Amino acid sequence: MQQFVQYTILGLVLGGVYFIAASGLVVTYTTSGIFNFSQGAIAMLAAFTYWQLRWGWGWPAPIALLVVLGVLAPALGAVLYQVVMKNLRGTSEVTKIVVSVGVMLGFLALATWVWNPTASSPRNFQKFFGANAIVEIFGVRITWHEIISFVLALGIAAGIRFLFVRTRSGVAMRAVVDDPELLELNGGRPERLATISWAGGAFLAALAGILITPITGSSMSANALTLLVIDAFAAAMFGRLKSLPRTFVGAIVLGLTNYYVVAYFPSSWTWTSAFRQSIPMIMLFIILIILPQDRLRGTTVLRTRERFHMPTMRTAWIAALVLVVVMFSLQTIMQPSPMKTLAYGMTLAMIALSLVLLTGLAGEINLAALSFGAIGTIVVFHFGTTGSGLDARMTLWGIVLASLVCAVVGAVVALPALRLRGLYLALATMAFGVFVSKMVLSEGNPRRLFGRDFTIFPGGTLRIPRPKIGPVDFNSDKAFLTLVTVLFALLAIGLVAIRHSGYGRRLAAMKDSPAACATLGMSVVRLKLSVFMLSAAVAGLGGVLMSAQLGAVSAERFDIFLSLSLLMVTVVGGIGYASGALLAGLFLGCSLLAMTNTLTKLGADYASIQAIFAFMISAVTVLPATIGITMGKNPSGAVTDIVKGLNDIKQARPLMFTIIGFEVGIWLLTATDVLTNWNFVILTAINLLVVPPLGGAIMKKRAYAKAGVAPPTPAEFIGIDRAYTQLDLDEMESVLGFDALGVAAPVLHEGEPAHAPA
Amino acid sequence: MSTNISASHFSSHDGNGPLLELAGVRASYGPIEVLHGVDLVVPQGSVVALLGPNGAGKSTILKVCSGLLQPTAGEVRVAGRVINGATADQLARLGLCTIPEGKGVFPNLTVRENLWMATMAGVSLSDVEEIAYARFPRLGERRKQLAGTMSGGEQQMLSMARALSVNPALLLLDELSMGLAPLVVANLYEIVAQVSEEGVSILVSEQFARTVLGIAHYAAIVLHGNVTRVGTPAELEDELSAAYLGS
Amino acid sequence: MPLLETVGVKVRFGGNVALDDVSISIEPGSITGLIGPNGAGKTTLFNAITGLQSVSSGSVMLNGKDVTKFAPHKRARLGLARTFQRLELFTSLSVRDNIRVAGEIRNRWKSIGGGRMDATAEADRIIDLVGLRDVADREVGEIPTGNARVVELARALMIQPSLLLLDEPASGQTEDETEAFGKLLRKLAAEDGLGICLVEHDMDLVMNVCETIHVLEFGRIISSGSAEHVRTDPVVIDAYLGAPESVG
Repeated sequence: MQQFVQYTILGLVLGGVYFIAASGLVVTYTTSGIFNFSQGAIAMLAAFTYWQLRWGWGWPAPIALLVVLGVLAPALGAVLYQVVMKNLRGTSEVTKIVVSVGVMLGFLALATWVWNPTASSPRNFQKFFGANAIVEIFGVRITWHEIISFVLALGIAAGIRFLFVRTRSGVAMRAVVDDPELLELNGGRPERLATISWAGGAFLAALAGILITPITGSSMSANALTLLVIDAFAAAMFGRLKSLPRTFVGAIVLGLTNYYVVAYFPSSWTWTSAFRQSIPMIMLFIILIILPQDRLRGTTVLRTRERFHMPTMRTAWIAALVLVVVMFSLQTIMQPSPMKTLAYGMTLAMIALSLVLLTGLAGEINLAALSFGAIGTIVVFHFGTTGSGLDARMTLWGIVLASLVCAVVGAVVALPALRLRGLYLALATMAFGVFVSKMVLSEGNPRRLFGRDFTIFPGGTLRIPRPKIGPVDFNSDKAFLTLVTVLFALLAIGLVAIRHSGYGRRLAAMKDSPAACATLGMSVVRLKLSVFMLSAAVAGLGGVLMSAQLGAVSAERFDIFLSLSLLMVTVVGGIGYASGALLAGLFLGCSLLAMTNTLTKLGADYASIQAIFAFMISAVTVLPATIGITMGKNPSGAVTDIVKGLNDIKQARPLMFTIIGFEVGIWLLTATDVLTNWNFVILTAINLLVVPPLGGAIMKKRAYAKAGVAPPTPAEFIGIDRAYTQLDLDEMESVLGFDALGVAAPVLHEGEPAHAPA
Repeated sequence: MSTNISASHFSSHDGNGPLLELAGVRASYGPIEVLHGVDLVVPQGSVVALLGPNGAGKSTILKVCSGLLQPTAGEVRVAGRVINGATADQLARLGLCTIPEGKGVFPNLTVRENLWMATMAGVSLSDVEEIAYARFPRLGERRKQLAGTMSGGEQQMLSMARALSVNPALLLLDELSMGLAPLVVANLYEIVAQVSEEGVSILVSEQFARTVLGIAHYAAIVLHGNVTRVGTPAELEDELSAAYLGS
Repeated sequence: MPLLETVGVKVRFGGNVALDDVSISIEPGSITGLIGPNGAGKTTLFNAITGLQSVSSGSVMLNGKDVTKFAPHKRARLGLARTFQRLELFTSLSVRDNIRVAGEIRNRWKSIGGGRMDATAEADRIIDLVGLRDVADREVGEIPTGNARVVELARALMIQPSLLLLDEPASGQTEDETEAFGKLLRKLAAEDGLGICLVEHDMDLVMNVCETIHVLEFGRIISSGSAEHVRTDPVVIDAYLGAPESVG
């Protein structure tokens, strides 16, 4: 009995903290329509900041709390909304998700940058009044920290209720949900309310982060802390992201289950602790199954800002050929280590291709692409290899089997969420990803299955050999790079072929208007399921090859945060294009590594300014997230710009020949060992990045000279290079919007003489 | 801009010039232009009715006036001041009151909370409640009821209560009668007439032409995104049937 | 047997009754008009018939089969097609592909019976039929609303329905376009035996093409009959003009 009381109280406390985090999600979602994936990362940042003030610098607890909760967190939330989230109006759900995931990854990178995870002394995060401030209730010992946490949860629940019922701003927040336009007509400012709610959401996240860190006794790990608060997603989902009372119930059930599992599962079950960590995600999954079906609605946004143009089959073949030729020329000059990096990048690109298929073509989201890679890898490890030691090879059947299993697993994961909106599928895949990481990849213990001893993930590392298909052995680095490049090229052509097929058109139609599709007789759920399975199979294939490239893989290679990064970088590259996937894979697999390697090497060479290079390395790791966050401004991805640039270059023949000529020259010099690999990379980068704008400028000047007109003077030089004209003034006024300011800066116009309508 | 500016900010304009004036206003939804150069004048203290079939552009004209939709060309002037570029909430706080088509209330807010939202235009809640309950005793009985659960007529009363209590200089009414029984509509327009007598200028769009012609000083027929005819109700009465039901 | 029969259909939104005891039936080869003031429940009735909106009571019968509990796509497969008042075009596809994909969707559910069509050829035929040749290869987002409504009609025709529901197909069309559209509807009804139900505010079109007209007000049918009957029915004139007395 005493044990029951003890665990009940602990469960209530944990549930209370979950509620605090979840209520923040609900508040921001209802007022801005954006599901804040970065909620957990905000909580994590707050916990670290609080630790820094409280124990790092030894501030008194009240002041540290005031600074973190009263100033920093709300300011962060407000800035986040004003700078990032506000721009997401009129973008697709995919872009909204990716941007807030980008913010999360950015915060994670920031935290590891500022608070070095390999610091010599462990960070000690204590409970309020210390771990020994204990009282006894019903014969059970609980700390003051836990009491405070639960009381705060109740207080927050009451406070939010008070806000929403008794204050005008709170009532206005509910009014925004009903009808933002009408609120404006009343004189309210929906933008300001959204900002306030984001400030409040960040405050709640921060509070949850500070409370939960010592309760779970986890070490101060940025990833773990972020995931801890992500657990609150399940509670928010139980309230359908709307109802706070239901969210409260969900949170409490979550907290209690968590501790009852510890208390009542037999201690002989070796998977209890892994199971306990997966409870929130398992619950999220169950909730998705029991939620009632969404009504089929028409498109909510008239036209989303994302535009993708379809390449022709001819373009696809040419591009694929160019890719294979380029890779082939590269591998003739490359040393083994960059070649390995390149192959790794190509396998990531293949996984990214699965995202292009799913998101770019069908408008659905998978947040755990690499988890399918993990499933595929496990299948291949157990059923898809022959030989042993150095002679071990992956079989073709192993690869096929792995892909098939991934497709089936994909179906199981997606099915419950397919009836619901895209966000729910995204969350289901995320739940799956965390589940795989915590319960499958941690399965190092032998189990008896069907009378056979079986270990899913023995020793924490799987050795995956490279494939041998028929007589062709792909064991060497060169052969393997060729294999993955050709495979990627074929898959990319396949993707374009799909876009040109009836299947691709049906996917596009479904993405644009599910309601119209249903009234034409389409079973929307079946089509969604098929494309998700296909995408999971491609992700599995890519994952298997990634493992083969690495040779030995551990669980971290399939981490959920890696999946999220890949998705984000793919969207940045251009989720509508195979080339977007290529860009993403190479960026994540190679460029990041290349940049950090270069900077590390430079740091070693110039020891006196090593700190600067160390800083730059950290800055580079934040880079992808930073780019992701700016997605709201250009939701169609970088490829769109690149294609436009390429077209410009194609128009300018001399420029094109210059670039190609340079590149061939560099390649020849490298092939004859005059240049090293790194110099090749750097010179290529210069050739591709610097020559086009430079050449473009020169050519433009020539064109103007040819036409016999002066080039337009840049605005800042007007008045210096030449005198102002009335035309300049007029243009400047219209650019600055002086004539349209109206009320904000009253420019009184004389009214026209009144003429009554008659 | 602070919220407590006098609700009748716009009426400080002196003289008898038009309170609202549209000159060559064009407006589009995305690539589709729906207003093709509208000219319209609402003289100080008068009621002007916009008539015409559905989809002709009546609601769009009101959207442009209320600041919800920015015109792509032309000027909108209130009390002689160009208001192009001003947002709906700014205009609302400056004394412009808009009752939008068919959804003038927040369904998941109570009657009292709905009235509370009206105070953003710079009036106190107690004043709003007093005026609203005095004019519509039924609202007083239902102040704790969710607006969405009331009948259509009661909901329209609630949105009219806002128009009465914020003491606007200019009132924009969009399809007041939508989905309501004729008797209710007649009552609502009686109230509109009273508001007009207090000196408020009113622009009202209405598909039930006859209900509004009795109180309108002028009427404008809107067809295909243009104001095709302007005149007094008496002048226009005969042309209406043709405009609606075809000839 | 009528193609469509609604029997006492009632739809509630929260406390509001959007449709109350609506019973209509549509025969093959006939054109039925559905008119009424804004907010009377016309689009809601279409949604209830096509399954996008569930009904509180009453039933919907297609070809004598009770489909009240059927999902939208199952109803479409029984020969029901519609267009949308708020356009629901596939904005990432060209005009031609918008129409072609409908045939491809149909081929998926027709494949069992062996009734597959050559979607590309059929799309070309329909494009000529409805007169979209000039805009066929443009992005669907770039064409005028009037044309866009015709694209929706063409798309619906691709699944070879026996019953077609058109929600304000003429709004945004020019007068000439509307006239051609009326001719097309009559042709479809007369030659292909298509049953057509039309929600429309353009009274010229409705009065010209519809044999039967139902007038909805506050979710109820207040008058039914021929164009002449409806046009002179005092109840209808009151509903439209809101006047206490009729003008005859």
